Amino acid sequence: MSTLVRATRAQPVHLVVLALIAIVFALGMSTSDRFATPLNIANVQDQMVTLAIVALAQTIVILSGGIDLSYAGALSFLAVVFAALAGDSGGTLLLAMAVVIALGVGIGIVNGAITAYVGVHPLITTLGTSTILAGAALLITRQPSGSVPLFFEDLTYGRIGAVPFGMLFVIALYLLVGFMLWRTGFGTRIFAIGDNEAASAVSGLPVRRTKVAIYALSGLLCAVAAMHMTGRFGVGDPRAGVGFDLRSITPVIVGGTLLAGGKGGVLGTALAVILLALLANVLNFMNVSSFYQWIAEGVIIIAAVSFFIGKDKS
Amino acid sequence: MAQPYLAARGLNKSFGPNEVLKGIEFEVHGGHAVALCGENGAGKSTLIKLLTGLYTPTGGHVEFEGQPARWTDPRQSLAAGIAVVHQEFSVLGALSIAENIYLGAEPRTRLGLIDRKALTADAQALLDELGITLDPNALVETLSVADKQMVEIAKALRSEAKVLILDEPTAVLSQNETRHLFRIINDLRAKGLGLVYVSHRLDEIFEICTDITVIKDGVVTSKGPTADYTHDSVVAAMVGRELGDLFPAKAATPTAGEAVLEVRDLVVASGLPPATLQVHAGEIVGLAGLVGSGRTELARALYAGEAVSGDVSLMGEPMPHRDPAGSIEAGMLMLTESRKDDGLFLNSSVARNFSATTPGLGAHHNAIPPGHEERRASVLKERRGVVVDHVGLPISALSGGNQQKVLVARLLENRPKLLILDEPTRGVDVGAKADIYKALRQLADDGMALLVISSELIEIVGLADRVLVMRDGEIAKELRGEDITEAAIITVAAAETASHHGVAA
Repeated sequence: MSTLVRATRAQPVHLVVLALIAIVFALGMSTSDRFATPLNIANVQDQMVTLAIVALAQTIVILSGGIDLSYAGALSFLAVVFAALAGDSGGTLLLAMAVVIALGVGIGIVNGAITAYVGVHPLITTLGTSTILAGAALLITRQPSGSVPLFFEDLTYGRIGAVPFGMLFVIALYLLVGFMLWRTGFGTRIFAIGDNEAASAVSGLPVRRTKVAIYALSGLLCAVAAMHMTGRFGVGDPRAGVGFDLRSITPVIVGGTLLAGGKGGVLGTALAVILLALLANVLNFMNVSSFYQWIAEGVIIIAAVSFFIGKDKS
Repeated sequence: MAQPYLAARGLNKSFGPNEVLKGIEFEVHGGHAVALCGENGAGKSTLIKLLTGLYTPTGGHVEFEGQPARWTDPRQSLAAGIAVVHQEFSVLGALSIAENIYLGAEPRTRLGLIDRKALTADAQALLDELGITLDPNALVETLSVADKQMVEIAKALRSEAKVLILDEPTAVLSQNETRHLFRIINDLRAKGLGLVYVSHRLDEIFEICTDITVIKDGVVTSKGPTADYTHDSVVAAMVGRELGDLFPAKAATPTAGEAVLEVRDLVVASGLPPATLQVHAGEIVGLAGLVGSGRTELARALYAGEAVSGDVSLMGEPMPHRDPAGSIEAGMLMLTESRKDDGLFLNSSVARNFSATTPGLGAHHNAIPPGHEERRASVLKERRGVVVDHVGLPISALSGGNQQKVLVARLLENRPKLLILDEPTRGVDVGAKADIYKALRQLADDGMALLVISSELIEIVGLADRVLVMRDGEIAKELRGEDITEAAIITVAAAETASHHGVAA
């Protein structure tokens, strides 16, 4: 197996996702002249940034055999806190960033510690923290409020050609996490624990500490997504994260990462995020109700998993 | 004699009031391979855990190169040079061979990143040294069980080891693969390592071990050079009875009864040759062969109807394509290979496990009255000799032997005409084995037909009236009466299969 394939964790299924991207793209071109314009392509990218970041976080957690459902509450809570503190100067912005990052990591550490040391299933732990944080966000403010400095808002709208700054940031994050999974001991431990936790422990790996670090990293990425999202909205929306708990899982699974852990990677997630964002965009052009988009997304995830199961059996 | 590398000096271990080990004296010298023998529950695993620092002793101490070693963590004993190959594999399928071998100790660059080139090269060098021809970058999940075992051994030896402890290393290996493992063990011993070898297979112990230590009920009952022992004397030290007592007498005229199972031209999977066989009332037919020779697949094809084509009939009635429920109704039942995976309901009580396939048996209508399950279970427990204080306890609290008795009892509640048993005594101690053999023979004498799959040749030889030897998915030979010997079975089973697996021969 070539080193590139091993390092990127490329799978045959990625070719299927690529083919689907090409089909959806062709469909878009045939639907509207405005589809393949730089403006629209940039729009698609802007719309995928939040999902791309939380799906990246979810990929790491799922690879380790866990799951993180806290994004719904955490995104809302962190967005509200960020907008409340960011004010209108560089100084207040930096303070808000520091607080939100610390809170994001803190939420992750709590998730990880309860999961690893108390032994509560991560599904329950993170469902619990998500519910708590969703409530906390609404206690802070009932409607979108707060603000961010104008230059920060402008920054989240900035572009180089057809590529938004946010997208460049996302690409950098994916490369960074991909490199981490391939070349660091932490990365190897993520795969090892996801594959077989008991065997990892017998092999002398610090399983529980690693789990805490994994959820902390997940929380950190969630904080980053919250800040970008708030920059785009210009206010802190206490319902900003609704739906992102389950939506973060779809691209991970469609991208070929095993829900049980141990197998997969960020390349698949990246491709699946692109596919889902393009599909939503094209369906918009076709004037298809967004409710049909939900239906399409549901069909895709079930079809993807059925495909993997069919492949395993043969 | 020189100082032992590793020794136990008057080692005691208690869990609460339960004294598991008492005054154990045990030595491993460099260049020696010491067999650690004993029934399940005798204390072998506990001793290994004490020797490696996973447990701390309640009395006495462990000695390493003449000095008391007070290890409190297996990582300390590992650093000193005690390597363990665990019974349950600790290799990870999603990682490559190289990643597995150096898991947690990967070669690093100056920046602290994993040095991928060195990782592959180091693993390659280690595999070469052990005479294992595998690609270090291959994913472990693509390997055969035997190759996984080799990776496990390479992993144990990644750092300079003085003592290597192997816990049941051949449980899942075929004869050829076992031969390769033995070559590695002998090489390591020649290099001066001390080995501890835990196995239930006496043949192997006599083949590769220089010394034997027998533990019974937490006490060393016998130890000395292998030359001083015979099979019978080791078993006698383990259980206090002779080997011949294990197996009850065979049927006088095996195939005299009517044919219960008739299989004609059964094709288990496309590409495999058709299988034809009969099992008669009152006989025990052994299905022998190497792991992977198709024994379990044949049995599953019969039981679950997972065959491509062919005719199966039970008591003269043809059985068309069907599922396990259909087989059970017709009177064909199967004890599966792995109790924990597809046998027991691990979270349920002993009582619930007894009656799992016949929940309302003996109750009126469809409602099961309160206490019915427990009353039935109490009767069954007495009848089948299951040792448990209370049938309401979880099945997981029972020993392997008692769990197996519960499973067999459950099958018998369905009044089978044909019973298929896949590895009926796996992970069961010698005492319980004898009970199970006796029970199986009693069933045959009562007119049942039995088909027994086993990897333990001694079991096939001691138990079966007739033996079908499988090789590469095909029934290669049938042996009867005096012709049933371990040598005859091996000769057929292992012929021409050397080229079929990845281990270098």
